[in-house]
Amino acid sequence: MNPQQTYNGITDALRVADTIGGPLQVVLTIAAVLLALIALLPATRSWRDRALASVGGLLLAGEGVLIWLHWRLWQLAVVVDPSTGQITGHVAAPLWIESEKLYAWALLTCLMGVLLRRQRSELLSGVMLIVAALTAGGALLGQPFTNPLPSFLGQYVGYLQAMTQGGQAAQQGFFGMEGARQGYYNAWYMWVHPPLLFMSYGAFAISFVATWKMIRERHSAFETTAYRWARLGYLPLTLGMLLGLPWALMSWQGEAWWWSGKVNMSIMMWMLYTAYLHARLYLRRRNMWRTVATLAVLSFAILLLTYVATYVVPGAHSYALLAPSLRALATGSLGGLS
Amino acid sequence: MTGIDDVRQRSWDFGLTIITVVLLAALGVQSFLGTLWVWYSERAVSGWEQSAGYTDYVSMMNVIAAPQVVALVVVMGLCVPKRLFSRAGLLAVSAGMMIAGVAAGLYTQSLTTGLTVYLALAAVIQVAVVALTVAGVRGPSYLTHGRLTKTGSGLLHLGFIVFAIVVVALQRSPLMLPVFSACAILVTVGTALSFYADKLAWHRVPVDEEASFDATEESDS
Repeated sequence: MNPQQTYNGITDALRVADTIGGPLQVVLTIAAVLLALIALLPATRSWRDRALASVGGLLLAGEGVLIWLHWRLWQLAVVVDPSTGQITGHVAAPLWIESEKLYAWALLTCLMGVLLRRQRSELLSGVMLIVAALTAGGALLGQPFTNPLPSFLGQYVGYLQAMTQGGQAAQQGFFGMEGARQGYYNAWYMWVHPPLLFMSYGAFAISFVATWKMIRERHSAFETTAYRWARLGYLPLTLGMLLGLPWALMSWQGEAWWWSGKVNMSIMMWMLYTAYLHARLYLRRRNMWRTVATLAVLSFAILLLTYVATYVVPGAHSYALLAPSLRALATGSLGGLS
Repeated sequence: MTGIDDVRQRSWDFGLTIITVVLLAALGVQSFLGTLWVWYSERAVSGWEQSAGYTDYVSMMNVIAAPQVVALVVVMGLCVPKRLFSRAGLLAVSAGMMIAGVAAGLYTQSLTTGLTVYLALAAVIQVAVVALTVAGVRGPSYLTHGRLTKTGSGLLHLGFIVFAIVVVALQRSPLMLPVFSACAILVTVGTALSFYADKLAWHRVPVDEEASFDATEESDS
């Protein structure tokens, strides 16, 4: 491996992603605003189906660019043991980490909205508003095309820099990068856990829209829809969270993850959705629907807070305390490579 | 079962469900307060996660969560096998399990051992409940309808008891992964059956008619 050539290859790939994805990011933001307007204006009711499908198409196109970028990065980002010169493997960055998290959630929710059948006309505008918010957030806050994977790239470029220095620095850089490759990027868990959670988040978002309609219309038909989407979300949420345990025990040995902020919020979310599913067994009891509605709304509010907690509350899951050196690497202020 | 018994049974079931919801919400509130604690501590104390403060915090959270988890498992134990024993018998069995757990904990001076003994006994009872449910015995009583759905519910609850055992006792054991895998299968299959068994069933249980909540409340009053 030639670190400089690898670095140049990565830079070229990022440039291509930026050239195609940069304008797409702008288009997605505009499309999100239009989607929200179409959802809100009664005169545009007949456009809603096509508008949501169009945003889904744009999001899929962007996902195609991201898949290409990840494939190129996988080809380029090899890890070499400096003591033997042997390649230990390629780094496979998952498609739903860092700057791409919100984008993945937007895409999955949008696809679910396109597939929505039961009470479609009543729920579509609410689903569109949520998709619009997620799409705008995914494009503007995540910037998956113009500022992709800052932590991963920072870490990998730091490793390349260490390799150019050789000696002890190269060995240390190798241990850090190889550990991250095996324990995080290439871990099966990272390819399963986040998409399961984003699937559940998408289903819970639609469940929330149906709950909102239930509260406004006071009709159990909406509650049934809310329940169907909630149970669809509960299964991947439970499985995704369960799978976290053995991975955390193995990968986060010695790290402070038990009862950490993100873990707490996730447990809270799961507890509330479990409470909601239990409470609705007595939906027919007098006034019970109010309790069910309260739990459903509270659960979704906590879901949003759980997502935000990743960026606010420090801990093993968190981006809140990204190491300053990693930030410097991510923003390109590197020595040794240019 | 007479009409009065049926009403009592429904009130008992409802009471247990409310207790379950309250316990789940309480654990949720604890988790939320824990998050605020972490957030504040990280801001107030540099390197808090590597300090004794974090260890103390984890111990405190474990101690607060343990009785709630035990209470949840107790409620689970009271809920389903209520027709296998009389209610007094069921309470006695649950109390006996708790006494066994407390005795084991005191004898070994270990909260972990006490919890493990209690959870293991709860798991044995739950295995029996699932076996009886699968066999179609008229003993276990569920809030759901249909044998597949009931089996799913039983497997799901068994899965969570096994998960609690993994968390409490097996984190550093070589048995962790196999036991955890069994737990993940139980929970996933159990949840899927609980939610979607009606789509697989030969005889489908009719779904309640949909109606306005206002109309339901008027007819109740």
